[in-house]
Amino acid sequence: MTNRLRPSLVYLLVGLVGIAAFLYPFWLPANALPSTAHSADAPLWTAMISALVVMALALEVRRGTMNGATVAVLGVLAASAGLLRLIELPGNNAGIFFLVILGGVAFGPRFGLLLGLTAMGASAFITGGIGPWLPFQMLGLGAMGATAGLLGRATSHLTPRVEVGVIAVFAWVWGFVYGAILNLWSWPLFQGNGPTLWRPGLSVNTTIEHYWSYYFTTSLAWDAAGALFNAILIVALGLALLATLRRFAHRLEPVVEIISAPKAISLETIVSIDQLSRRD
Amino acid sequence: MNAISYRQVSFSYPDGPTALNEVNLEVIAGEVLLVVGSSGSGKSTLLRAANGLVPHATGGRFGGDVVIFGRSTISHHPRELADVVGFVSQDPEAQLVVDEVEHDIAFVLENLGLSATAMRRRVEETLDALGIAHLRYRAPMTLSGGERQRVAIAGALAAAPSALVLDEPTSQLDPQGAEDVLAAIARLNSDLGTTVLLAEHRLERAAPLADRAVVLSSDGIPTPCAVADALATYPGAPPVTRLGRLLGWDPLPLTVRDARARAAENSLPFATNIETNSRESSRGGQTLVAAESLSVELSGREVLHRVDVSIGAGEVVALLGRNGAGKTTLLRAFAGLNSASHGRVNPTGTVAYVPQDPSTLLFSPTVRREIAETLKLLGRRDAGEVDAWLDRLGISHLAERHPRSLSGGERQRVAIAAVAVGGADVLLLDEPTRGMDALSRTALERAVQEHAAEGGAVVLATHDVELAARCASRVVVLGDGDVIAEGEARIVLAGSLFAPQVLRVMPPFLTVEQVNHELEGV
Amino acid sequence: MSKANIPAGRYQSGRYQSDRPWSAITWVAWALAAAATIQLAPNPVYVVLVIAITWLVVVEHGLDGPYAKAFPILVGAAVFFAVLRIVLIGLTTHGNQDVLFTTPSFTMPEMLGGFTVGGATTAPVLLQAGAEGLVIVGIIAVFAAFNAVVSHYELIQTTPRAFYELGLIVIVALCFVPSTIEAIRDVREADRARTGGQTVRRGRLVRQVIPVLERGLEKAITLAESLDSRGFAHSGATARARGAGWIGLVALIALGSSFTALVARENTVAIVLGGIGVIGILFAIAIASKETGRIRYRPRSLTIADRSCIAICLLAPILIIVLSIAGDNTLTWTPSPVRWPAFDILPALALIALLAPLTRRPITNASAISEFNLSDEDSVLAVGHSDKVALP
Repeated sequence: MTNRLRPSLVYLLVGLVGIAAFLYPFWLPANALPSTAHSADAPLWTAMISALVVMALALEVRRGTMNGATVAVLGVLAASAGLLRLIELPGNNAGIFFLVILGGVAFGPRFGLLLGLTAMGASAFITGGIGPWLPFQMLGLGAMGATAGLLGRATSHLTPRVEVGVIAVFAWVWGFVYGAILNLWSWPLFQGNGPTLWRPGLSVNTTIEHYWSYYFTTSLAWDAAGALFNAILIVALGLALLATLRRFAHRLEPVVEIISAPKAISLETIVSIDQLSRRD
Repeated sequence: MNAISYRQVSFSYPDGPTALNEVNLEVIAGEVLLVVGSSGSGKSTLLRAANGLVPHATGGRFGGDVVIFGRSTISHHPRELADVVGFVSQDPEAQLVVDEVEHDIAFVLENLGLSATAMRRRVEETLDALGIAHLRYRAPMTLSGGERQRVAIAGALAAAPSALVLDEPTSQLDPQGAEDVLAAIARLNSDLGTTVLLAEHRLERAAPLADRAVVLSSDGIPTPCAVADALATYPGAPPVTRLGRLLGWDPLPLTVRDARARAAENSLPFATNIETNSRESSRGGQTLVAAESLSVELSGREVLHRVDVSIGAGEVVALLGRNGAGKTTLLRAFAGLNSASHGRVNPTGTVAYVPQDPSTLLFSPTVRREIAETLKLLGRRDAGEVDAWLDRLGISHLAERHPRSLSGGERQRVAIAAVAVGGADVLLLDEPTRGMDALSRTALERAVQEHAAEGGAVVLATHDVELAARCASRVVVLGDGDVIAEGEARIVLAGSLFAPQVLRVMPPFLTVEQVNHELEGV
Repeated sequence: MSKANIPAGRYQSGRYQSDRPWSAITWVAWALAAAATIQLAPNPVYVVLVIAITWLVVVEHGLDGPYAKAFPILVGAAVFFAVLRIVLIGLTTHGNQDVLFTTPSFTMPEMLGGFTVGGATTAPVLLQAGAEGLVIVGIIAVFAAFNAVVSHYELIQTTPRAFYELGLIVIVALCFVPSTIEAIRDVREADRARTGGQTVRRGRLVRQVIPVLERGLEKAITLAESLDSRGFAHSGATARARGAGWIGLVALIALGSSFTALVARENTVAIVLGGIGVIGILFAIAIASKETGRIRYRPRSLTIADRSCIAICLLAPILIIVLSIAGDNTLTWTPSPVRWPAFDILPALALIALLAPLTRRPITNASAISEFNLSDEDSVLAVGHSDKVALP
């Protein structure tokens, strides 16, 4: 089973290392960095590590062949997601979220992960936002897509309306989580002793307190608006969009059944397709 | 030697419908084989089976075998056949991947792993073979439809495949673009000896360049034979062919030149070149919408310049003109979608507009609900109007199908029904027959004439001169923003490059139906 | 490389169609060097200098298009958010030196942190926060400039072959953007036209989003057919790719272990493992990129000019490091006690190295282009016969 085991192992590791890179303010000990003056470099180091993690993911993707349909559908959805980001909506990236989540639900965790990565990549190109924060954003959105895929597997047997409701709640929660993750990139850039600032070497509890204060005062309201907007979009469009997306699911992984037909057919034994397949 | 052999090929899609049933077909190396048939007859499936897209890329149940230049499509995925067969489909916008024409052509070569020098040489040869060397650094999105299709063909051809499969390559193009593409295909076949498997609706241009043709129907696939014979009983044959069939000419002509030769050889039971009573040209009843000295500017450019056109009840008006002459702009001005920079549009009746791309309208899960949606939006209840329009356009049997699963011609009809059911007096149709098969065209013409007969009016913006000849009572020709000709169809069409085929062979008749009418009268 | 018939006005680099004097790799090097310089010398004076340099670069090399125009907007947004942070920090961090003013204070409830907002606002705190904010603005300015001057297609094409599929997806997405915008426009109009020119608000979102999405997906299917028919993913998963995948896996494990070592305060172990992890991933990428069977068509290779420019740009952060080791203490600035930031000529000279890309100007002359097309034909014929054009 190494075929299934290996990719799962890679995705797990990517998740762990990625999370460790995100959450470094909470565990990085004080003496890990050369001097306090350079602890402001920490975000850039984690940017590099996140970038490497994304690359490791890309290698894994490369290892499995991607067919033309996956590339094309990902490209189209990434384009739409990128355009949505151009629209100034409440919350930083609200427009992208609902498409990535619905795409993940419709097509599965691996597709959701790729969609998150490429949607953020494409939208960075479209909005001119390439920078050290990009690997963070890509991993965050990729995680959103992947978990949406797992959710989709679990909810596919529910009635459509209930399913859309569950997805809306999921999106609402992720609105906050994503905001919290993203803020971690720039939070440590400000140093000092204030209750909303970070210093390496603070205990975990203190760090959490400080971060919560920071988050609450700067972006909670913003993210709440974004999360709510996400949920509303999913409730409004989810049914129709999911149905549309699922109609295309069979093109991504086509199931081909080859029936062998006899070489010569006489008039008396005109065989229908159904009988042929039953024979095999 | 057979290039492509279909042996007992059967195929059904994952969601059920059987597309091909025990098909046997042989395509001879070096020939141009024309595949004709209405949508839904399995044409697309047949073509895609040649390079393995069916079944590998679509999924489904596949029986039998297709052997192309010695390789079986069952054991070879399309990507492994890229060096023997190239594929081009009808949408010029969705086939080019990269930002530069030259790079797009090299895409297939990169995939096949050629050396750098070989790639360079192939790209140059391909650019020359299609005559697009001057486009090499352009971005595909800046090209016209015809140019894009030629680049798509180049992209398929760069690997020097022995066969080329094209699924309606000209259906989304204007006449000039279609000419260029078909000429390029003809040149490829004659210079390089590429086997061509071509599906087309526009038989006026495509029929003359084929060696053999085959007409698909729900009964299966007959053996291919000479083009004229294959098209003998097909309703979508070029007008000169149908004329020849009507008058009993042998061999059936495919081009205007052949038809003139036949006409000179055979005597006709009536005189031509006489003044006949044309169709009653109803100058129309009361004016339903009029453009008065209308000028429209788009992105700083004046697209319409002081245009005066009025549409009266009972008229079917055809709007002709080159791309960019302002046809679509005029229609949209009538519909109130464009604002006038000078002059005005004066509507006395209600006006509804059906855009060029029907898929912009379709979003409901069934056809019936789609049409009923318009009534809901207008706040009215359905008093049998939905069924009436379904019937009128011949799509009643599709009422419970998903609109997006229909063919192009069927979708167009659904879109027209969805707009017309709102009960507007004037129907504006923008390029309604683009990509439509013969069956859909006939249904459309009938619906148009019925609507006009009931007191409404229809305006058709089109490149299709035959359509104008068959149903229009009046023709307006736009050129560079001005009205350059207007009047009775017979008179306006006679004078110009817009003449229908029958008119060029035996004036003053415009259509085969008119000749038929005259015959019956004699 | 044959220089015959290449008119002046087009930069020569193995593939001579680009109007842009520097390759995408050069710009990446420049951006990284500038960002590193800001991090290494966060003294506001130097940061302002770097920001000024980036502005000059945008003015000179900014491509026509949305990114060049977006540069001031992006920088403005960065300034706005930095100011917000400064206000927040100023109001919540309290000291007792150099008090500027005092505001009425209140304490947040325990659940939200239990700290005091308002009270004495001190100058050192504000200045410190201001300096850090300026660093953020500087980084954003560097990357906004990068986006404005680089050709994104070239950027994707220069990514290592290991990321080919992902890069292709982004290219496809970029190609679909104008088509999607058009689709949105068409759909909105069709919706209005359906009801005779009046807009009906009820259910409008569904009526407009679904057709745009469906149209896009249908085009995607056509594109997929085109990709498959043109041999996409022909070589499949080779041994190289598999090997690279395994190395990547091991490298990830090393990285994760290095984090654990950091927590356990085993710094040397952490550094060693971290180094293994980083090198491992880079090595895996290199292996995966060298896969035979895919040679790029006429890629833009680095010329001597490109390499010199990269070298000069990299000189800036290197010199700063040298200066910092040599004990230059003007590189950082701590405003307690309050004082003016120091300024030394040496680091400023090092920063001048970042002006290297300004030594060449982009071509904007249209006639140079048409000249080029004519003589291209001649050189092309020469190519066909003798393959004189050097290929990488």
